[in-house]
Amino acid sequence: MRINGKWLMCDDGVVRPMVRGEVLAGDDSWEWVEFLVDTGADRTVFSAATLAKLSLQPVTAHEGISGLGGGADSVIVETQIRLTRENSGKVVFRGHYAAVTELGSLDIDVLGRDITGFFTVIVDQPGDVICLLGQRHHYTIQHD
Amino acid sequence: MAGWQSNIVMEEVTDPQELAKARALDERFDRNSAWLQAHIPEVYSRYRGKCICVAGEELFIADTPEEVLAQARAAHPEDNGSTLLRYIPLERMARIYADKWQVANV
Repeated sequence: MRINGKWLMCDDGVVRPMVRGEVLAGDDSWEWVEFLVDTGADRTVFSAATLAKLSLQPVTAHEGISGLGGGADSVIVETQIRLTRENSGKVVFRGHYAAVTELGSLDIDVLGRDITGFFTVIVDQPGDVICLLGQRHHYTIQHD
Repeated sequence: MAGWQSNIVMEEVTDPQELAKARALDERFDRNSAWLQAHIPEVYSRYRGKCICVAGEELFIADTPEEVLAQARAAHPEDNGSTLLRYIPLERMARIYADKWQVANV
């Protein structure tokens, strides 16, 4: 299994590693989202803007999320994230995800190790590669 | 105190109808994302502190996600699900997104 991402330009002119996915909304429709591939994040976190887009009812409130800027108010939602495979197939991740509740706390959706941990993750800016590898896909490091 | 444990379960989608429906949305989202990438300098410099949404390769701006989504969905109902929504931070600064961990409630 190979899930490809892209290096995308963000608001500050910085190019960051992103993977597109769909998230199941409260009305059972799927909403597209671009996730930052964050190999240091313990868990996947939705921004407050995406939380509003999804109209999901929190299953738990007042969960804490901490980062460099200190803590941020957040909630836990139960939903599914769907990523697209190299063969246009889809793989779905069901469970509980965190979402911040203040717009300024997080401007981008973050794909954390609760999902990336299923895969070998390649984040290669010089080679212009972002991908998640699993099952029969693997990589080799070569020395020329 | 017990630490946070992920309960995420991974499954492959095999329903051909579901996959076909998803692919139609994929293409529309691709176009909206490409539109934003092509207009980033003007959009991000003019609308700091605002919520933006791209639908039907058209830009919408408002103060809240709810407002901007309502505008975009009204103008492009066919793009429902494939709109691109972003909050643009007020200030430009270096960002560290990593090391977000769960903390205890007190």
